[in-house]
Amino acid sequence: MTESLPALRDEILLAALPHVPFDGWTRRAMRRGARDAGHDAAAADRAFPYGAADMVAHYSDLADRRMVEELERRDILSMKIRDRIATAIRVRLEQAAPHRDAVRRGLSVFALPSNAPAAARALYRTVDAVWIAAGDKATDWNFYTKRGLLAAVLSTTVLCWLDDVSDGNVETWDFLDRRIADVMRVPQIAGRVRGAFARILGPFQGRTYRSAGYRP
Amino acid sequence: MTAKPGPRYLPGDPPPAEDVARMIRVDHAGEYGAIQIYAGQLAVLPRGTASAAVRKMAHQEEAHLDRFARMIVERRVRPTVFAPLWHVGGYMLGAGTALLGAPAAMACTVAVEEVIDAHYGAQAARLGDREPALKATIEEFQADERAHRDTAMEHEARRAPAYLLLTGAVKAVSRMAIWISERF
Repeated sequence: MTESLPALRDEILLAALPHVPFDGWTRRAMRRGARDAGHDAAAADRAFPYGAADMVAHYSDLADRRMVEELERRDILSMKIRDRIATAIRVRLEQAAPHRDAVRRGLSVFALPSNAPAAARALYRTVDAVWIAAGDKATDWNFYTKRGLLAAVLSTTVLCWLDDVSDGNVETWDFLDRRIADVMRVPQIAGRVRGAFARILGPFQGRTYRSAGYRP
Repeated sequence: MTAKPGPRYLPGDPPPAEDVARMIRVDHAGEYGAIQIYAGQLAVLPRGTASAAVRKMAHQEEAHLDRFARMIVERRVRPTVFAPLWHVGGYMLGAGTALLGAPAAMACTVAVEEVIDAHYGAQAARLGDREPALKATIEEFQADERAHRDTAMEHEARRAPAYLLLTGAVKAVSRMAIWISERF
């Protein structure tokens, strides 16, 4: 066997996905997947030695990569930012549609307190991949606010999507649009808060960076 | 492990890719902090030769920051979480020392630039023959920072009140900021 371990992990995981709704994110499901993909069952243990959270994290990672590939094909950089983000989430959920039950069970694995760090890491990697695909160039704290806001949008949208029985998931896409509209209001609110602060601090603000004649 | 000469890795050290990411993260944070220090000084210092020198150094730091910002984007390095702290802290450090007078502001610059000089030197040595482009950038900036130190010395940094105490404190703060920004 000359296959690299990451490739083996991808292959076994994809083959195991149909078994996950029945067996859960378990060693048994991975072994079945390995056998379906033409490996011996031990390959599954070799590929996923760390148990359920590791499998779900790898699923998330694989889904991220497939999303990025699709987004590159769609040339999202020509869209407005909010459409880039909406498209990314939509692509990710549409790609996950065939294994919605596996995602549901994956979330319950991630919901265990002992798996919280792995869950946070997977969520971070996903929002990071979305922002990078969307051409984000932030190098200051916006880097974190952007990822934080998107994490909130993404996680709530996934929960909505899990229970969505509407035709073509219209409800989810409407929900997503409303959440993104919420986020678009954040700068307005921040501006209002900043304005209020400026009014309070006004008398105390002396010479500042700009007024000192410093022009970069 | 190969037998190539270069830095020695011990168990628990960050892997080489993460090592480089840390360098870019901390250098970006450092240049950001430096700009804020100079901005704080400029807000307090009266117009004159000292403030003109500071303004010139600040311009160079902006060029440095741009280079590291580009690297952050290209290499997908996470920027430091503590940017808001360096934003406020750097400004306060600059304004605070400048309130003690122009020589104290210059002493602050001497202290910071000496720490940065040593820090860039250590990074260049650590890179060995890896990442030649990054190493060249670091060495170029190191020379700039050393020139800043000399400029500050020429502007009578030595005449600052409690020179050794002041520079010692600023150096300690700078080293702490480096330690934090590398990791977070």
